[in-house]
Amino acid sequence: MTDENVFDKKKAHRAKKAGRKAEKKKKKNPLDTSNLSARQRNPKAFAIQSAVRAERQFRRREDVITKKQHIPQVDKTPLEPPPIIVAVVGPPRVGKTTLINNLIKSFIKTNVTSTNGPITIVTSKKRRLTLIECNNDVNSMIDIAKCADLVLLLCDASFGFEMEIFEFLNICQVHGMPKIMGVLTHLDMIKNAKTLKMTKKTLKHRFWTEVYPGAKLFYLSGIIHGEYLRNEIKNLARFISVMKFRPLSWRSTHAYILADRMEDVTNQEIIRKDPKVNRDVILYGYVRGVPLMKESMVHIAGVGDMKINELSYLPDPCPLPSSEKKRHLMERERQIYAPFSGVGGIVYDKDAVYIELKGSHSHNHEDDETNEKKALLKNVVETTETIDEQMQESGFQLFSGGAVIYPDMLRNDEYLQQNKEKHDDSSEDSSSNNEEETDTEHDSGIDDQNEKKRENKLPWDNESENVDNEADTEEESESDNEEDFSQKWKEKMSEKATNAYLERQKTSKNIMKLVYGEFEIGNKNKEKKDDSDDDSDHEDIDSFSKNITATQKKKHKEKERLDLDECSFFYSLDKPSLRDWTSEVNKQFLINCFVTGKRSADEDASELLKLDDASDGDDEEVYGDFEDLETGEKHVADEKLEDSTNLKPGDKHKAEPTKSEILNKKLKLKAKFDAEYDNPDEHRIKGDHAYYESLKAEALKQSELNKSVFENLDNGMRIEVEGFRPGLYVRMMFKNMPSEFITNFDSTYPILIGALNMAEQNIGFVSCKVKKHRWYKKILKTNDPLIISLGWRRFQTLPIYSKIEDDLKCRYLKYTPEHVTCNMHFYGPITPQNTGFLALQTVNNDPNEIKQLGFRIAATGSVNEINKSTQIVKKLKLVGTPLKIYKKTAFIKDMFTSTLEVAKFEGARIKTVSGIRGQIKKALNKPEGAFRATFEDKILMSDIIFCRTWFKVNVTKFYAPVVNLLLPPGVKNAWQGMKTKGQLKRERNIKSEANTDSMYTEVTRGPKVFKPLVIPKELQKGLPYRFKPKEKSTTVSGKPKSKLDRVAVIKNPYEQKVSNVMKMLKTNFDKKNEVQKLATAERLKAHKKQLEDEEWRRIKRQKELKKKICRHLSKMGNKKKTQM
Amino acid sequence: MPAVNENDVLVYKGSNFFRQRLLLSTLSGRAIKIKEIRSSHEDLGLREYEVNLIRLLDKVTNGTVVELGETGTSLYYQPGILIGGQVTHSCCPQRGIGYYLEVLLALGPFCKEPLNAVLQGVTHNDLDVSVDKVKTAALPILLKFILVDDGLELKVVRRGAPPLGGGEVVFRCPVRRHLRPLQWTTWGLVKRIRGVVYALRVSPTMANRVVDSAKGVMLKFLPDVYINTDQCRGSNAGKSPGFGVSLVAETNEKTFYCAEAKSCEAGKGEITLPEDLGRECAMSLLDEIARGGAVDSAFQWLLALWMALGQKDVSVCIVGPLSDYTITFLQHLKEFFGVMFKLEAVTHESEESDDESDLPMSNKIKMTCVGIGYVNISKRTL
Repeated sequence: MTDENVFDKKKAHRAKKAGRKAEKKKKKNPLDTSNLSARQRNPKAFAIQSAVRAERQFRRREDVITKKQHIPQVDKTPLEPPPIIVAVVGPPRVGKTTLINNLIKSFIKTNVTSTNGPITIVTSKKRRLTLIECNNDVNSMIDIAKCADLVLLLCDASFGFEMEIFEFLNICQVHGMPKIMGVLTHLDMIKNAKTLKMTKKTLKHRFWTEVYPGAKLFYLSGIIHGEYLRNEIKNLARFISVMKFRPLSWRSTHAYILADRMEDVTNQEIIRKDPKVNRDVILYGYVRGVPLMKESMVHIAGVGDMKINELSYLPDPCPLPSSEKKRHLMERERQIYAPFSGVGGIVYDKDAVYIELKGSHSHNHEDDETNEKKALLKNVVETTETIDEQMQESGFQLFSGGAVIYPDMLRNDEYLQQNKEKHDDSSEDSSSNNEEETDTEHDSGIDDQNEKKRENKLPWDNESENVDNEADTEEESESDNEEDFSQKWKEKMSEKATNAYLERQKTSKNIMKLVYGEFEIGNKNKEKKDDSDDDSDHEDIDSFSKNITATQKKKHKEKERLDLDECSFFYSLDKPSLRDWTSEVNKQFLINCFVTGKRSADEDASELLKLDDASDGDDEEVYGDFEDLETGEKHVADEKLEDSTNLKPGDKHKAEPTKSEILNKKLKLKAKFDAEYDNPDEHRIKGDHAYYESLKAEALKQSELNKSVFENLDNGMRIEVEGFRPGLYVRMMFKNMPSEFITNFDSTYPILIGALNMAEQNIGFVSCKVKKHRWYKKILKTNDPLIISLGWRRFQTLPIYSKIEDDLKCRYLKYTPEHVTCNMHFYGPITPQNTGFLALQTVNNDPNEIKQLGFRIAATGSVNEINKSTQIVKKLKLVGTPLKIYKKTAFIKDMFTSTLEVAKFEGARIKTVSGIRGQIKKALNKPEGAFRATFEDKILMSDIIFCRTWFKVNVTKFYAPVVNLLLPPGVKNAWQGMKTKGQLKRERNIKSEANTDSMYTEVTRGPKVFKPLVIPKELQKGLPYRFKPKEKSTTVSGKPKSKLDRVAVIKNPYEQKVSNVMKMLKTNFDKKNEVQKLATAERLKAHKKQLEDEEWRRIKRQKELKKKICRHLSKMGNKKKTQM
Repeated sequence: MPAVNENDVLVYKGSNFFRQRLLLSTLSGRAIKIKEIRSSHEDLGLREYEVNLIRLLDKVTNGTVVELGETGTSLYYQPGILIGGQVTHSCCPQRGIGYYLEVLLALGPFCKEPLNAVLQGVTHNDLDVSVDKVKTAALPILLKFILVDDGLELKVVRRGAPPLGGGEVVFRCPVRRHLRPLQWTTWGLVKRIRGVVYALRVSPTMANRVVDSAKGVMLKFLPDVYINTDQCRGSNAGKSPGFGVSLVAETNEKTFYCAEAKSCEAGKGEITLPEDLGRECAMSLLDEIARGGAVDSAFQWLLALWMALGQKDVSVCIVGPLSDYTITFLQHLKEFFGVMFKLEAVTHESEESDDESDLPMSNKIKMTCVGIGYVNISKRTL
């Protein structure tokens, strides 16, 4: 009725906008200018004054906007998100436990005695928190940084920031920065107000440079009775509960679980026999990140890669208050869940019921908590009641798509028997429709099982327990026997059955079954049991035999298929005779698949036109009949419609849209119009942001689709298709865990279980770019063991550093360069590109070592490439010497050792020291390894010949996960892997011998001997006589005389005598001469002396004479003067 | 039959779906073992074309380990990393190039280097999709997943008919870090029909006769029909005589259906009339159109593969009735990747369904899946 009113409305009054009347009205009530903005009041003042300035303004605005834009990501947070992990991190004795206690108290008003492991609490209707304390171990810090959503970074203000805090911030940066809030404690230790202010300020600014400017830093000013001030804690809690989070790339592609509960379910007898036997361990936790697939491998940080043996979900032990209706009055809202701390309540598991107790003596204390526990315990102990209750609530589904039926519904109805029959009928109908499908249905019996699948009452129903099924059938039969059902229920039931049937047709379980029938339950024997169940249900020998033949047939078919030729066509090998599409009957079916055929009602242009016309139906009436002049077609108002219906009775659906249809159409159009034109946001000029907006819209659409598409699928199927979505509380069973995990278990260490995506469980060569941390004191050496935290894993490996040359060759580096990135290659787990990692040289928490190191993070980087082989090369110079030299050809030896080696290097470039280039030609056969080479010029025998090549360096295949969780409690933080060579040498006091070539020796230089000067003959000819070499030319051979061999002269006795006499005479003569010479010298000396004396005397005489003359002259002069 | 998992090695039996298994193994990085390969046949063990496929996979990967049993009836395959790059491969003439090309097409986007493969062999074979079909119907599907066509190309250099072949194609494929999720639920109406008729070492009139008959059928449905003839000469015509036709129907939503038919091998005794061939091809195209769906029925498995390998988002596609090959492929996908599709038959619009329920065209299947978040781990980032 209301709809019709919309269209039958009378024409509304339209006020005049111009003219005399309008002006009058305007004068009557003038515009109220008081609350107008300045811009509205005086628009001229805000007009563009300068085009340049306007342009600049516009440009700046666009820059700012563009800077803010990020590539839109599909929002993957589920409708019911998992609790937010709040990690409390800080150095020891800074107040972490106190803070956690206070926070819990402020949120849920209960005291927790111990804080071990993660504590999950409900804080609001939409939010839960998992609080976890990080102990002072770099392993834990890394694991916590990988999973925390929010980090409370505690710092002792009286001391300042410690190295652990900077290390933790660095770890966070590498693995995806969670939200970080700093908390300063111990502020009451600073007594002076001014110093307090200064400390706060300096710490704040230091924190800002590390995180981001403006990061939140809380001050907890003091402790009263062992607790922080209530107001401050409340403030902090408020901040936590409104915190928003950004998706991090690693966590939005990987599922992960922070285990908050652990059970060892190994047979006690086996443990007794061998305490070291591998254990079966169950871990529990909320799925986070992305959906967890059933088959996926996981990595348990600190233990290693594991395969999940069983995965199922449990009811939430700490549910959001809105999510589930209260079933019992007894069941109080559980607001806290912390099994490691002894606050767990009751947990129903597949094979046990766990009740958390605080030791055996805790019952004596009668406080609220124990009361509550008692009540819960009572709840379990009084079994009769609870089973009844549980029966009440256990609904079952006849069809997996259908509605859930509860026993109290059954109580109201009468002839379930008949309904049953009806249901059978309907199923038979379906079977007659589709024989093949029912065949398979009989075979596997999975469908039945699906149908009987219970509603999510018991946690392990997704594992499809047989027991459940049996219980259900029993229940069913019981209800069958009852007679007092009302008529009303019968109707209801039949309606339900048909609905369910229709729904099943719609969802078509059969296709799913056809494809996945063989898998749905991995367990084979279970399937068989189901088969037998199926049979007993039927209780019919015929069907039984049919079943057997069917299974045989199936097996036979399978066998036939085993070795067929592979073919991807629809009709793979046997080509059936196709339908004759050209025949009129068949053509009719197909004709609408072409653009020339009829379109569906909402697409066809003529239909749409008709809709429009019909909606303004009244208007059309006015026009009545008319003739289209262009086509010559006559339009007759009413008759035409009748005509068309008469002509084509089969085409009735196209004929006349009903009024409601038209209305719908119109409303839809109107909504579309409104959305387009009335939305003020759409009006602004989009410009270049249109693309960005469209991306954003696309991401939004995708996230909506992700959330909505499986919404009404039943939970078992949904998990099969989608995986265990984040927010579910799951139970994971691991077989063959090392026994040390249990025996050395310490709940203060986080158990992080990270799922591995496709191919990430494999190991290969990872090449990444890496930079030594500028705070790390040493440089890193190639092939020194390094502990790397990459992805979920922590492992030790032997890296090789390299540098990429201009020709994209990886050149081996012995040490990491300082202040620049280099490449690193190691053998390790395959991890997607761009994943960040950090490297440590040790994870040992020995205080001495830490003090010596200062900052423990040795390097950071990210993955570049994965491969199954590496190409790292090192420079290699091969050296040879000439054997024989022809003009430009030379034979070279000593470069290679065999002909084969030479053959490999044929054509290689070589070079002498003096720079003459050449090429290796061919091996010689005589000295092994020698070869012929040609050069661009003649080389000398003294030349050394180089061949510059590259030598491939292999990366050592060493990969050892850090298994710190398996270590005994005391030394959990002292994992020791492979030691560096230097470390070993230092420990064992081994000193390596120095290379003698590298030692310094005294330099001794002999006198330089020059070669005699040889003057060419030509030149000699032109020389003047005195420059010509004389001696040599005199001898015939050209050699100096002295060097000629002389003939030995042998004298006879006479001659000897003569020569003796001659010798004596000569000696005498020589002696005489000598004496004479001495005497002469003596004489000469005396004579010289005599001459000198004479001279002296002469000079003396002359001097006196001169004196006399001068005196005389002066006397004369004086006389003359006196006269004057 | 589901695979048996022996410490993370999937063990299969029989030679059927050999290609699927190797392909999925390569993509997933999981080792497989195939036993009882034609163990009960006369010529037991792997065929030549299968060994040839292993060779091709070895060429595009690095670090692959293949161990053949002594009798050739068992095979252990441990995949390496996809490298891609320049590959030249002479395919075994027992199967068409399509057999190998489909594998390369599926692997192409996940290689380290953009794939540039030259494949030589039989371009048109009865058992396999022809290169024309891949070019016209499969490449547009990949385009939907990678969105930007930078170098996706398939060039038929020369054609070659069985048994000797002699054809050559060049296939280029860009690499991607990950594929987009795809929602493809409408396929529109057929707007044009194109086709190509090739005649190798036979009289050119053959081609024209095929065109005439094929066009005769198709014109009853749509006026926009255009069929090319490809008359190959000399070395371009391959080593064996033969002729054939492939027809493509394009819808207004960029869905391509393709049907093809070819003459019998020379010297086999049977004679194919060109008129029959044209009509047969047209009929199978109409059959394909009747089946409907967003992709051609021969490439449903490719669609399923790329949907499953997407990011962790929901992909939805509606296809025609599932072929047996696709069903097995879906089972294999579940085994290798653990991904399960939600399959449901699409309800048809009101009245139409009543009188057409017996027709195969009525049951379309909606495939919904969440991608496994597969990323190309071999690509290098700088």
